Amino acid sequence: MARTRNDVLQGTLALLVLKALAAQGKMHGYAITAHIQYVSKDLLRVEEGSLYPALHRMTQDGWLTAAWGTTETNRQARFYTITAAGRTQLAAEEESWARLREGVQRVLRYA
Amino acid sequence: MIRSWLARLRNALHPDAIGSEIDREMAFHLEERAASLEREGMDPSSARLEARRRFGNLGLQREATRERDLFAWVETLVFDLKYALRGLRAAPGFTAVILLSLGLGIGANTAIFSLINVAMLKTLPVRAPEELVQIVASGTGNEKSRSHFNQRLWEAFRDHQDALSGVFAYGSTGMGDLSLGGEARPVTVGMVTGQFFSVLGVHPAAGRLLSDSDDVKGCPGVVVITYEFWQGEFGGDLSAVGRTVRVNGHPLQVIGVAEPTFFGLGYGYYPPLWTPQCAIRIVDGAISRGGIVIGRLKPGLSIEEARPRIARLAPLILPGTIPRGLDGKEIERYLASRFDVEPFARGFRFLDADYGQAFLILMGIVGVILLIACVNSANLMLARATARRREMAVRLALGASRMRLIRQLLTESLLLSLLSAGVGALFAVWGTSVLLGFMGRRDRPMVLSLTPDLTVLGFAIGISILTGVLFGLAPAWRATRAEAQSSMKADSRGLAEGQSRFAMGKGLVVAQIALSLVMVAGAGLLIGSWRRLMSVDAGFKSEGVVVVSVNTHAAAIPDSLRRGVFLQILNRLRALPEVEFAAAADRTPMGNTNWSADARLSGVEGTRNVSLNLVSEGFFAAMQTRMLAGRDFDLTDSPTNAKVAIVSSTVARHFGGPAAAVGKRISLLWSATEATDYTIIGVVSDTRERSLDQGDVPAVYTAMRQNLFLDQFVRFVAKARTGTVGLSRAVGAAILESDARLSLTTRTLDDQVQESARLPRTLGVMGGFFGAVALFLASIGLYGIMSYTVARRRNEIGVRIALGAEPKAIVAMVLGDVGRIVTIGVILGVILALATLRLADAALYGVRSNDLRTLVLSSLVLGAIGVIAALGPARRAARIDPVSAIRD
Repeated sequence: MARTRNDVLQGTLALLVLKALAAQGKMHGYAITAHIQYVSKDLLRVEEGSLYPALHRMTQDGWLTAAWGTTETNRQARFYTITAAGRTQLAAEEESWARLREGVQRVLRYA
Repeated sequence: MIRSWLARLRNALHPDAIGSEIDREMAFHLEERAASLEREGMDPSSARLEARRRFGNLGLQREATRERDLFAWVETLVFDLKYALRGLRAAPGFTAVILLSLGLGIGANTAIFSLINVAMLKTLPVRAPEELVQIVASGTGNEKSRSHFNQRLWEAFRDHQDALSGVFAYGSTGMGDLSLGGEARPVTVGMVTGQFFSVLGVHPAAGRLLSDSDDVKGCPGVVVITYEFWQGEFGGDLSAVGRTVRVNGHPLQVIGVAEPTFFGLGYGYYPPLWTPQCAIRIVDGAISRGGIVIGRLKPGLSIEEARPRIARLAPLILPGTIPRGLDGKEIERYLASRFDVEPFARGFRFLDADYGQAFLILMGIVGVILLIACVNSANLMLARATARRREMAVRLALGASRMRLIRQLLTESLLLSLLSAGVGALFAVWGTSVLLGFMGRRDRPMVLSLTPDLTVLGFAIGISILTGVLFGLAPAWRATRAEAQSSMKADSRGLAEGQSRFAMGKGLVVAQIALSLVMVAGAGLLIGSWRRLMSVDAGFKSEGVVVVSVNTHAAAIPDSLRRGVFLQILNRLRALPEVEFAAAADRTPMGNTNWSADARLSGVEGTRNVSLNLVSEGFFAAMQTRMLAGRDFDLTDSPTNAKVAIVSSTVARHFGGPAAAVGKRISLLWSATEATDYTIIGVVSDTRERSLDQGDVPAVYTAMRQNLFLDQFVRFVAKARTGTVGLSRAVGAAILESDARLSLTTRTLDDQVQESARLPRTLGVMGGFFGAVALFLASIGLYGIMSYTVARRRNEIGVRIALGAEPKAIVAMVLGDVGRIVTIGVILGVILALATLRLADAALYGVRSNDLRTLVLSSLVLGAIGVIAALGPARRAARIDPVSAIRD
């Protein structure tokens, strides 16, 4: 039986996170997971644990900023916002993703 | 970018803050997920579990998140270090053995390497040393003339060359005497041409340095002193410039002080005085003789480019510079000389020539000892790691990654090796000074400024880290391999343990024994070689003999009167009640002087190069050299009688033996045109003159009484009736009584002989010391592994005893185990020894590296060590109480 993997492809996590934050503004880690899952209609599921190392790395690379804030349910959570550098990075990642997708499609079609 | 670095820095500085932030963030995530699952209808406890499941390995992700923070590794490192330190404090014996053995290993390696660095690697501390080159004349086949240019050749070369921006000749360095009578203060004088300091790029610390105008024929004699001499002799007083220094009684005016870094042209040899070449007439009474030619390449010119430009000078300038007194064949050879250029960045390799081989052997010794210490430490670490298997298993189960644990364990071993490096630094400082004291000669002590440079520092840090990884990696790998479940369950209890559990530990002990055998065998060879050397029949006996070297320069005795003064001193010495025999000689054995000439023996084809000495009557009696035939010199051998000589038995052999040689004639060829004929009146046994391992050299002795003019230097030898106590002083006083301006250097002949064997002795002592260390470590290793094995097999041994095994059988079993380990180790060691010790063959005297006796003895010693180390554990095994052992 073929196994369908809907884990997020290695390397695309940053793209998804940046896109989500660019679209939604401020979000905490759980919300990002939920957002990606919702928008992709459950096709993509972020391995939740691995999100946090990625978020911290992107924060340190200066693509995101992080700050503690309060949720609607009045709870403390760490909210992430995309920075200008993050948006530049997003554009680059989107472009490289488009190229990757086209490449893969061509291979599937013609190879 | 900067901000992110600042963030990381902050994280690193507040490790706990970031730790709890991550925890809070993740806890929030888990709660949100659980809440959402509950909303979908899951019961609270399953929801929490599912949230955890979806999150993955919480601990691992937390660690991964922290690792994202650069500098977090610093923080982890601090944790690991704290943890490691706690662990080490808890096991002081373990820590002490590792620190001392690795410290000794690292320290000894650093010490020897710093010597090798100076002897072979370091460049001179002058401006752009890589531009310095030496000009050699090759093709003459004569090693001495190869580098030595005669005065006219040097001048012609200087005037014609166009590849060097500056060039100077480094003449003979004379031995002078600073004293004006009494105890001699020997000093070496570097004699150089005017551009010496400017070519090297040395600046003055005071006054000025030499220039071309100081180096003219008949110069008044000026001197540049080194910074060290300035400090020592003048206390760094600026008024030193303009004052005079007396060398052999002759005044030289100080014109300046060289900068502190300048010491000369080769490590290990530091003339404190530097005069222009023209001063040689003043200091030595000799004429200027050219020297070794050193130059600096023109900017941008490589050695390869300079070579043809220098080589093409040879045919141009050689014909005009032929030295006087050469015969036709020699002139032909002279004209065929070729010029070549050699790099001179490292200066003269005095140390390499004298000590290079000894240094390399020492490097081998300390290298092996460091390996042994590494293996020993690895074994101790392994035992400890095995004891911590349970801890590792728990940590693995809690989500620690294997790399994380290996890192923790490596941190521990690196911490140990760096602490050892600290201990090693102390060993190194102490060790080098001990070693230099051992190896130096009294008249030329080894003063090396061994301030560690980057090479040495890099080496020390490099081997420390390598050591840490070497002894830490294998145990760390092994310890973290534990499968979580089985280790936690089956620790410490159970049936007999499989052999594989100990395989690694035993393998390490086998390796340690093999290396120790190489070490012990090597030490045995070096010590045996030294002892053989000391018991060699040198042809003379040094006991009770005192040698006094007398320098008459300061006394300014006219040449014609010198002979009379010497004969008068001889009579005074013979009148002393303590003195049995007294004599005068030009040279004494192991006195570091050479004098030789070609000799033609009547009735024998060709010429022989013979070693020469000028001695008075009684010399052979004082030295206790056997007279094989004929007679000693006596008072009848006066300048007016026919010239007589005494020859060594090697020379006599050419005539058909001692008896046949007496009465034969021998002529000494001073040059192509000058020769003196002698009648042989006696034959003495061969003596070793230069070193104990030298072999028999043909020697010819002529009579001092027959020479009207004697040299400024002479040595008196006095043999005591009983012991040498007080002899030196009595002899010295008697000599100064005749003229208080004579300057003396007094030594016992025994000292001279011991000193000539200082390298074999150093190697023997070092070999012995490190051999003992190797044995000590081997016994620790064996004891450790056997104690551990017995402890692990307690159950099994208990069962054996319960089933009726005799204590003797248990002891035999444990000893058998040790026997196997030792036997394998010894066999591997012998193979290793045969393969590696050959490298030391050149330094061995009277014994070869494959010496059976040494190998067998070393094997027996290791076997004995094995038995001793295993006796304790074996007895403990035999005393195991079966009931409690099985119940435990």
